Amino acid sequence: MSNSRLISCDFEYFAPRTVNEALEFLQREGARVLAGGTDLLNNIKIDGLKAPALVYLPGVEELNYVRGDQGLKIGAAARLSDIEAHPAVVKNYSAFREAINAIGGRQIRNMATLAGNLCNGSPGADTPPILMALGASVEILFRSGPGRRESKTAALEDFFTGPKKTILEPGQLLGSVSIPEPAACSGQAFRRLARVRLDIAKINCAVYLVRAGETIERLSVFMGSVTPTPVRTPAVEKALIGKKVSVKLLQAAAARVGDDIAPIDDVRSTARYRNKVAPVLVLEALEEAWKRSGEN
Amino acid sequence: MKISLKLKVNGRIHRVTVKPNEILLNVLRDRLHLTGTKYGCGIGECGACTVLLGGRAVLSCQTLAVSVAGREIATIEGLQEGSKLHPIQEAFIDEGAIQCGFCTPGMVLSAKELIDSNPDPSPEQIKDAIRGNLCRCTGYTNIIRAVQKGAEIMRNEKKGGNS
Repeated sequence: MSNSRLISCDFEYFAPRTVNEALEFLQREGARVLAGGTDLLNNIKIDGLKAPALVYLPGVEELNYVRGDQGLKIGAAARLSDIEAHPAVVKNYSAFREAINAIGGRQIRNMATLAGNLCNGSPGADTPPILMALGASVEILFRSGPGRRESKTAALEDFFTGPKKTILEPGQLLGSVSIPEPAACSGQAFRRLARVRLDIAKINCAVYLVRAGETIERLSVFMGSVTPTPVRTPAVEKALIGKKVSVKLLQAAAARVGDDIAPIDDVRSTARYRNKVAPVLVLEALEEAWKRSGEN
Repeated sequence: MKISLKLKVNGRIHRVTVKPNEILLNVLRDRLHLTGTKYGCGIGECGACTVLLGGRAVLSCQTLAVSVAGREIATIEGLQEGSKLHPIQEAFIDEGAIQCGFCTPGMVLSAKELIDSNPDPSPEQIKDAIRGNLCRCTGYTNIIRAVQKGAEIMRNEKKGGNS
């Protein structure tokens, strides 16, 4: 029964101190990871999610880290506001930082984790487009025996399988997110449209490009809220890679985005609106990323 | 299955027994009778339930009480010293930033987190800090001024002067 005043369903609560402990608790049927709780508790309170056991992750200190030497590695328990403020993120990952700052308000970012944002799997989430554009990967941890665990890596681009669905299987834990260091002469940008700043995005877009003189050598463009999962837009990329950049070229390239998106009407916006603004958003992101690539 | 916890709120330790599904907001209001923290939406969108956890603003409607055992929790009641209001509270009164007052505790606590790490915040920074706190009465202008004023009073107090 939907009730925002209190949580009406019962669950067992576990507070592991190590990764192996957490994986052990996650063996229980229906066990879910609780980190910031900003998605999960609403799912339980309002959307009728039944979770017989919650495994509270932030007590696992070994998962609470942001490492900025040679790229970025972010542990599952790291809070968005800590990631946002990390010197390596501020210095080298401007668009990733903007994407994090776009999420909710200060309180949400003090509680929520990047891992949780990814595992929630919303097609409109703000972090996947820029992370995918930057070539991020995730480390998935799973129990392989009593007190033993193994890990496997997956490209973030392959992580989502549908709205609110990821490749994570029951008992598996997203342990960390790794992001390569941006190339020299690169630029990145993130754009989103929402009703108000606090709101979830109607549509968002991220660009990462590597510049060689006046041409774009490498380009990744990803969008959210226009397909069931965050999506790459190769039509835009093909129109630009290896070509000499001009305003006209960027406009023409941005206009190709329609080839790769298929937005729907939903609670937040309409297909018509999203189709109309997608090329505008892409153009803004391309121009910003190009501008930033010249500033290195 | 009830769990016995020690909750540290405004510097005092309270022993409570809660079920895992009890949210911090309700424990603060109903068990500890600290009703300054408000239920606004219950889904993490309005900020009326804001408390400080280790000095950081969080939403008590989205926090399980069991998860904050032993952590430092500050509610609006903890800001004043006896009958002496906190500078941010004084500033809110001076600037007319309180109409119905419902959003005020959350606003003041969010402002406190901001000013504690950024003693001279710009209007843009203030807007970003209170983005998660909704006000239906004031239109925010006086609130932003009050946060600036509160920050100014705190800077002056640090310098040892009075404003």
